[in-house]
Amino acid sequence: MEPFTLIRPRTLDAAQTRALGAPAERVYKAGGIDLLDLLKEGLARPAELIDLRSLGDEHGQAMRALAASDSGWSVGALNTLAAISASALPQAYAALREAAGSAATPSIRNSATLGGNLLQRPRCWYFRHRDLHCLKKGGERCLADGGENKFHAILGGGPCHIVHPSTLAVALVALDAQVEIIGAEGPRRIPVGELFALPRVSPTAENTLGEGEVIRGVTLPAAAAGQRSVYEVAKEKQSFDWPLAEVAVALSVEGGALRTVRVALGHVAPTPWRAVQVEEALTGQAPSAELFARVAALATQGARSLGDNAYKIPLVQGLVRAALHRACDVPVPA
Amino acid sequence: MAGETTIYTLRLGFDDKLKAVKVEVPKGEPRPWDADSELAVIGRDTPRIDSVPKVTGAAQYTHDVRLPGMLHAAVLRSPHPAAEIEHLDVSPALKQPGVRAAIDLVKVGDKVRFAGADVAAVAAKTRDEARAALASIVVRYRPLPFVVDLDEAIQPGSPKVHEKAVKDRRTEGDEPSEGGKARVEGNVRRNPSLSKGSSNKGLRQAKVRHEATYTTQVHTHSALETHSIVVRWDSPKAMTAWCSTQGIFSVRDELAGVFELKPADVKVFTEYMGGGFGAKFGASAPGSRLGWIAGELARKSKAPVSLLLDRHEEHVCTGNRPGSTQRVTLGATTSGELTAIHVVGHGSAGIGTGAGIGNNAFGIYTRCPNILVESRDVFCNTGPGTAFRAPGHPQGAFAIELAIDELALKLGKDPLELRIGHVEHPVRRAQLELGRERFRWAERRREADAKRSRGARYLTGVGVACSIWGDYGRKNAARVTVSVDRDGVVEVRNGVQDIGGGITTVLAMVAAEVFARPVPSIRVQVGNSELGPSVGSGGSQTTSSVAPAARNAAEAVKAELTELAAKLLGRGSTEGLVWGSDGVSEVGGRKRTIAFAELCKKIEGEAVVATASRPQTYNAGPMRHPSAPVYQIAGAHFIEAEVDTWTGVVRVPEVLAIHDVGRVHNPLTTRSQVNGGIALGISYALMEQRIVDRGSGRMLNPNLESYKIIGAAELPKLDIVFTELHTGANSTGAVGIGEPSTIPTAAAIACAVHHAIGRPVRSLPMTPDRVLAAIQGA
Repeated sequence: MEPFTLIRPRTLDAAQTRALGAPAERVYKAGGIDLLDLLKEGLARPAELIDLRSLGDEHGQAMRALAASDSGWSVGALNTLAAISASALPQAYAALREAAGSAATPSIRNSATLGGNLLQRPRCWYFRHRDLHCLKKGGERCLADGGENKFHAILGGGPCHIVHPSTLAVALVALDAQVEIIGAEGPRRIPVGELFALPRVSPTAENTLGEGEVIRGVTLPAAAAGQRSVYEVAKEKQSFDWPLAEVAVALSVEGGALRTVRVALGHVAPTPWRAVQVEEALTGQAPSAELFARVAALATQGARSLGDNAYKIPLVQGLVRAALHRACDVPVPA
Repeated sequence: MAGETTIYTLRLGFDDKLKAVKVEVPKGEPRPWDADSELAVIGRDTPRIDSVPKVTGAAQYTHDVRLPGMLHAAVLRSPHPAAEIEHLDVSPALKQPGVRAAIDLVKVGDKVRFAGADVAAVAAKTRDEARAALASIVVRYRPLPFVVDLDEAIQPGSPKVHEKAVKDRRTEGDEPSEGGKARVEGNVRRNPSLSKGSSNKGLRQAKVRHEATYTTQVHTHSALETHSIVVRWDSPKAMTAWCSTQGIFSVRDELAGVFELKPADVKVFTEYMGGGFGAKFGASAPGSRLGWIAGELARKSKAPVSLLLDRHEEHVCTGNRPGSTQRVTLGATTSGELTAIHVVGHGSAGIGTGAGIGNNAFGIYTRCPNILVESRDVFCNTGPGTAFRAPGHPQGAFAIELAIDELALKLGKDPLELRIGHVEHPVRRAQLELGRERFRWAERRREADAKRSRGARYLTGVGVACSIWGDYGRKNAARVTVSVDRDGVVEVRNGVQDIGGGITTVLAMVAAEVFARPVPSIRVQVGNSELGPSVGSGGSQTTSSVAPAARNAAEAVKAELTELAAKLLGRGSTEGLVWGSDGVSEVGGRKRTIAFAELCKKIEGEAVVATASRPQTYNAGPMRHPSAPVYQIAGAHFIEAEVDTWTGVVRVPEVLAIHDVGRVHNPLTTRSQVNGGIALGISYALMEQRIVDRGSGRMLNPNLESYKIIGAAELPKLDIVFTELHTGANSTGAVGIGEPSTIPTAAAIACAVHHAIGRPVRSLPMTPDRVLAAIQGA
């Protein structure tokens, strides 16, 4: 790890002024969890870390807020995963609380922030290896393609085959969240899905943020009547491990039929992945175990195995089933 | 003492099977503790006497050693799995900030054979400076063809890993080997077979056969404290080393050997250590010459040098449990009598040897008359395998035990009854029968079958597997000194390292028992080569080698103190004097007592001191080990597994572990060892796995993130039962537990998963990808 200077600006304006012009040299820091890994692995060698946790202006306050607003709920980017997990977010948004409470470990959740979770770099073992130079690092090809790809993408991959590491993003996609971004030209707001970019757009970056831009927070839209949301995950280890696959579902049941269904999959694609076919197949139907078993297969339409990751197909289907059962209170076979 | 013996009649055996046995003990040895011994300290839960410094951080590990003027070393390692060195120049490193010495570790023309092999090293004022300086070293490699996959390495025509015979590194309990004389073809080296009867004949007689291939992964030791050594030269002919080791004396001897010193001029300290599972014998790691590097850099720089490996290095060059591919063929009669066991095992210890897997298949279900276990080492361009907590056993157990379950299913037999019908060891049989009741075997099996037949999402299964180990406690290896001084201080001294099993506390307990003193009053000094010879912690032999020696020394001191008491009481002999918590008392007559403190004040000179060892095992125990000249230790694990059929995730809610541990000296730390053995076994069964990239030959998960190790969330409910066995084998009856406690865990989980889903998962670890494939019948 190289030495660096820690800058603690009081205002977002000062932070952005500092950051502009030297994106590799001066980087933002929030919880510092992924950044510390990148520093230790030599994947980032910044001269300055600009700490967003020192912001004392209105932006800083907004970034720490977690509250109901006129049109739903706002969750500031500096909220820790632990805070989100323990927050008063209503049951309609339970998927976000569950996702936040499931990631990493208790000690990491006490430091890791919403913004950092959305913007962390992928965990691909070729990308993270100190001796290997892959496409994502500016090399010639994706080493996972034809290599060891058990944890890689079955959907949306190519030419790089990472899976997106953010667990919160999966819940936010299911909840149709908007991301509030502050740049040099002022604020802008985009659906959370548009924050992420597939590798065919840019193999070396995972998001669409411009230089100096900062995520201020996310907004969860007002919940539909009777909205339920859940998060389901499978891991090889129950703590301190990354998902093999994860699913967030938001839906409501009106007059015995499913409405406003959103299903998002994680750790199966280079971005959080919406299972639109599943949503369509469920909409208007009465919830039942048979329906869930049938539609789960639609979650992986177009999925392609790289060799070692074919298991993710039945696995994510199983998680879709499990999530639907729980969201609709339909008992699983026991 | 030669030839002079005393005969004691002891009550030996286990459970209700105790009987009087005449045991011949060398003269001067105390009467061995047996079933009739009434002990006040030994056998009772006793917290570690060194727990406070450990939990407060006061304990000094090798990583904590800071000496005046100490430099820090870093090692340049080959990024190539196979290459020839065409050019090497370390001199630019000498110009880097803080650097005081740089050495090459290979010469031009040498070959490196795995990614991570030693190339060069530097010593600098800080660790960061040392690491940074490595980049300035100029090396030109000529990359050579390589092979990192076991199955590929077996193929004729695959790149040859070694041109010449390879030397074995051996420890107690290792599988058989013929060393340099072994026959080698390509990358495949033959090890001696374990054989009895004729497996061919047995298979011809069989009416039911089961044949399948089982594979196990490479498992790295991943001790919390990485390999570390600090070397200081005290004169051109003498040095002191601090080392995280499980063998202080092997560190001393290795350093003396490589630097041409007298062993007596090399001091080694291991006051505390952060874990060792077989890869920490000697000053060096199996794949890196750490002792030479630290010593040579210290010599060149004329300053002490600290060499601490990082986690990446720890994974790639400090050893591992070899992977294996085992072809198992079983034959049986229709009534369920095994007629043959035939195993052909190929194991890869990377560039090293010792990947045999035979003892579980050969030594447990011995009613089978025909057994043949053939074993081969397969060389690969990966870091060397080495001893790892019960070398060969967990992988061997996995294959034979799962194969037996699969055969039982074909036969329509209960797999536990099939096992009970084929074991001969009386303790093992009793353990299996005990587990059947205590684990509610039949009831749980029925419940699990019902869940499977109604198509539940979460299925459960129960499995059982056995362990086999030997009593490797050694004679005359540990020389323990016990002293009692005029101030009443009782001290036990020995050069042994405490690997974490708790020998420090056991030594205090033995002295407390003999002198009837409280445990906290006993001083124990260990972890220092100056304190008298001792054993390495391998083969589960520490307690059984050291505790009896401590008792023998303590008894000698006690005898002298008893003589003194007799003299003070004006008695002609020590007859009629007993030791109690008050001191030494007369049994009859005036029933006078001399308090311990008063007695000690009368010691002539400073202290009464005795040093003793333990002799060879003097009674054989219930059954011999089938392939080693020692008494056999038995154990069994009964395990329930739960499988989420929608995700393939396996969890282990409950484990019953039953082990023969001889006399349990400290139940608290003995259970702790079994807890650790089971945790390691679950970790091996479900998640730990070295992933090597076939394209680059690099380990892809040299960290503790994607190399996954069990955490608290995976720990099951544990029920640990000790079959207390009075062997009369040594003066305290100690027998090892460290290794046997991990042998059957993964195998029993595999059997439980097989029971749960009705199909076998024949590869470890049983990760969701493999479990889902098995469920889908792939």
